[in-house]
Amino acid sequence: MSVEEGIALLFLLAGCAFYLAGTIGLLRFPDVFCRLHALTKADNVGLGLVCVGLALLSGQARVASMLLLIWLVGLLAATVSAHLIARHAYERDAPPEHEGPS
Amino acid sequence: MMALLLDGLIVLALVSLAVQAISGRSLFRGIIHFVVFGLTMALAWARIGAPDLAMAEAAIGAGLTGALMMVAYRRLVAQGDNHSPRAPAQKSRLAIPIAVGSGLLVGVIGLGALLADNPPGEAGLIVLETLPEYGLGNAITGVLLLFRGLDTLLEIAVLLTALLAARALAGTGDSSATARTQHPETPLVGALLAVVIPLTILVAVHLLRAGTHETGGAFQAGAVLAAAGVLLVLSGRVSRTDTAGPLVRLGILAGLSAFILIGLMPLLYGEALLTLPGMWSIYLIETAMMVSIAAALILLFADAGGLKRDRRG
Amino acid sequence: MMDVALPAVAVFLLLNLVAGMLRVYRGPTLADRMLAALLFSTTTVAILLLMAEWMAMPALRHVALLFVMLASILSLAFVGLPRDADEEDT
Repeated sequence: MSVEEGIALLFLLAGCAFYLAGTIGLLRFPDVFCRLHALTKADNVGLGLVCVGLALLSGQARVASMLLLIWLVGLLAATVSAHLIARHAYERDAPPEHEGPS
Repeated sequence: MMALLLDGLIVLALVSLAVQAISGRSLFRGIIHFVVFGLTMALAWARIGAPDLAMAEAAIGAGLTGALMMVAYRRLVAQGDNHSPRAPAQKSRLAIPIAVGSGLLVGVIGLGALLADNPPGEAGLIVLETLPEYGLGNAITGVLLLFRGLDTLLEIAVLLTALLAARALAGTGDSSATARTQHPETPLVGALLAVVIPLTILVAVHLLRAGTHETGGAFQAGAVLAAAGVLLVLSGRVSRTDTAGPLVRLGILAGLSAFILIGLMPLLYGEALLTLPGMWSIYLIETAMMVSIAAALILLFADAGGLKRDRRG
Repeated sequence: MMDVALPAVAVFLLLNLVAGMLRVYRGPTLADRMLAALLFSTTTVAILLLMAEWMAMPALRHVALLFVMLASILSLAFVGLPRDADEEDT
């Protein structure tokens, strides 16, 4: 196993850890807003780390830029989706338990 | 070893998701299961080595059917309790025998396919030998246009017929029934559209161009364009009308008419019908088909006769 | 080495996805179930990218790009639901 492969593997494993954290958050957190918080951070960073690992592994600028594009679009889509879902949930059942400054 | 584990897991997930999607007590849960089933199906296509189908699954499954079901669910909810989505289903006594019989049939056919010697697909070999003569690298596009031109032509006609049938069944002027999302107005949606719509068009054109030599083609490109249209309809940037303007009509008819006109041309030189006269004709037909497929799918989704820009959106 | 590691990572992510299905069952709100779908879509993208490298099939990266591009359509359709649409089920 070359050094590049080792580093790439580390990134992939770190990505996996974030996905795992996201899933645990999804299952364990008390309400929809907490779950949203856990999940969006976890899977965006997770996808990013997996992309970095795979880019290192392929070693081609073309592939790396494709992966970067996928990650950026993924960030945008996840952000908008999370915002829309959170707003839907918020408007549905008034403020959540842990109210921020109003 | 790992490959086997991955494939087994995909198969298990597919079966259980399929069962959950149709047998759940809750319609909404069923929709989510169906969407996840689509995602998993794309993985299965990828594992079988069929990226074309994975791509179609991505565009149709992620872009169209999920949203279509969500909008249908919304209408069911809006109709209220007297049309409860959970009206008790009529159970037929034949249901279980039919299910078991179908399962057995699939099992027998599958077993037969496994046990039979795989004959060397001669037709496939001939196709692969012929393609380079036309300068085509993608066997699927080649088969669709060069060898099964009539089928492909009729498929476009079927889509058009489906659109006509849907229009004939649809009510008119019921503005409460639009697919538009009522309160999407947050600046983020505009930002999303500003990035995703141009990117979608770019990818569709790329798939169309790439379709002659690698994964892609008119159907995938059309479905991707249609997804962009669905995004515009959902966000209220485009709204439905009852009758089509000239541009929409042109779009719907472009694929079929271009195919028929170019397909008739060989008769002038005394060649067979639908003998395509060269790469330019393939590009032309594919482009026209992409536009028609996209237009028809968007109109079907929006339950619309036509579309117009909506600046208030 | 990578021939084992890449599918192993994919298997791990797929198991994650299966575990997350529990949230679709539990709900309790429609938004919770949508969240699960959101996570699955990113997970699928990651698995597709892993497969693209592992199976040397670059077209799968295009499939992944399509998924991330179109992921928000479902959410946009979802927020159109009337807010009191919850709960036909628990």
